[in-house]
Amino acid sequence: MKREDLYTTAVMARLKLSEEELARFEKEVSRILEYFSKMMEVEVEDLPPTTHALLKENRLREDEPAGEDCADLLLQNAPELEERFIVIPNVL
Amino acid sequence: MKYLDDHWPGLFSDPGRVERWQDYARRTDEKIRSFLQFEPETGQALSAGEGKISGVPFAVKDNIAVNDFRLTCGSGLLEQLESPYTATAIKRLQAEGGVVVGKTNLDEFGMGSSTENSYFGATHNPWDLARVPGGSSGGSAAAVASGVVPFALGSDTGGSVRQPAAFCGVYGLKPTYGTVSRFGLVAYASSLEVIGVISKRVATAGLVFSIMRGQDPLDHSSLDYPEQLRQPKALKVGIPAECRKMKLHEDVRCSFEKTLKILPDLGFEVKEIALPSLEYVVSAYYVIAMAEASANLARFDGIRYGARDMSADNPEELVILSRSRGLGEEVRFRILLGTYVLRSGFQDQYYLRAQKIRTAIRRDFELAFSGVDLILMPVYPYPPFKTGSEGLDPFTQKLADIFTSSANLAGLPAMSFPASMESGLPIGMQFLAPPFGEELLFRACSAYESRFPAPDPPLYSTTWSD
Repeated sequence: MKREDLYTTAVMARLKLSEEELARFEKEVSRILEYFSKMMEVEVEDLPPTTHALLKENRLREDEPAGEDCADLLLQNAPELEERFIVIPNVL
Repeated sequence: MKYLDDHWPGLFSDPGRVERWQDYARRTDEKIRSFLQFEPETGQALSAGEGKISGVPFAVKDNIAVNDFRLTCGSGLLEQLESPYTATAIKRLQAEGGVVVGKTNLDEFGMGSSTENSYFGATHNPWDLARVPGGSSGGSAAAVASGVVPFALGSDTGGSVRQPAAFCGVYGLKPTYGTVSRFGLVAYASSLEVIGVISKRVATAGLVFSIMRGQDPLDHSSLDYPEQLRQPKALKVGIPAECRKMKLHEDVRCSFEKTLKILPDLGFEVKEIALPSLEYVVSAYYVIAMAEASANLARFDGIRYGARDMSADNPEELVILSRSRGLGEEVRFRILLGTYVLRSGFQDQYYLRAQKIRTAIRRDFELAFSGVDLILMPVYPYPPFKTGSEGLDPFTQKLADIFTSSANLAGLPAMSFPASMESGLPIGMQFLAPPFGEELLFRACSAYESRFPAPDPPLYSTTWSD
């Protein structure tokens, strides 16, 4: 993989890599992608993709609230709160 | 049948014994470092008291939610996270009287095979402190092997229950995909992972699985457990021809050969089978696992919970800096690769192809199981390796998932068991069964256990219960 490709991918993944990390990851990523290319040997034309091994159908349910209400406990884990609002830096 | 050694049931109703046990646990864990949090009193308050596992202590991998305990996932990003709820699997064990005594160390978010990728430091193998306990459920396996708890929960995405169990000389059950609810298990690769059991006795794993399993309205991929079919009189065990050809460390090879010799004595019929797709499973597994990880770990943004980078000037930067500083190197590496294989233009070549190979390995297994009841394979091509730079590099560790990850791709149940001691270290083998074939696994592992029970490491002691 090219350095440029790695950089674009990091932006998409919301990760910031230092120059030193970019160099290390570039080597590691290329090594594993080369290994993945072994999959090209397999004749896959007639094979349907498997997303879940044992799931046969979509399961639906009524759209009703259920379970415990732990909203207040969840809020306690927020890094910064103003009453029940989570504070973030200014958007504009 | 005896499910647990005599010193476990009702432990928490005897304050004197609890104190001696706690003392043993704390002293042992100073050497092993299995636990990220050890608080039996907290767990005792959450237990029902009466039930099938009344007063029995157990440990939980720290990527499974337990109310009033932390939920760090071994990540610096979640160091302060307190779980506001409890996973369904844990609730079911608590309802039967089980007591969560603490949360165990792991490779960050379950990504690794050595428990060295933890923000909180490494766990040591009870057999040799200079070696890794395996991973990613290394804390759980080491806690069981050192006699601190009779069982512990882990999660198995590509071998993370079976491999550490094998490295520590105990049993590791990876149930059929969907039979144990994933509600409360922090998602890494949702289509592959399942909560599993690590135990000192085979029967304990069977009991714990019977309590945890079954459909859960909170997990739409969870399945009802079907009635068990009548079991065959003599079990036919398939040995993949591919395993014989593959490169194994000589201690693992030796243990594999010994197991093959013992099986006929135990009444098993041994037969060669073929799994031609086996050589492609590591590629398919990592493409799928990393792709799913890149999506699942997008939630860690430093906004609603977790360590936030306070220097950010805007929300976008806040997310980028919190993730880049809070997530460890292996985790960022996998997110990056997962994002790459899902990019438009690369999807067909990687992700779609991996899913098709997943179908191929499923079909290989279906065909194999038309002629045998179980399949036997080694767990890992290497014995427990040394910590740090003397051990295995991350790439070699990934390739070594070849024997374990196939069960995850196909959703099959598998159980690792201590097969022999080689050069002073335990070596594990595993049985694989068709979907919902857990009873076959327990039966086969029990038969082997009667010949070779889980060995006790030198520091193992039960004198606290006298």
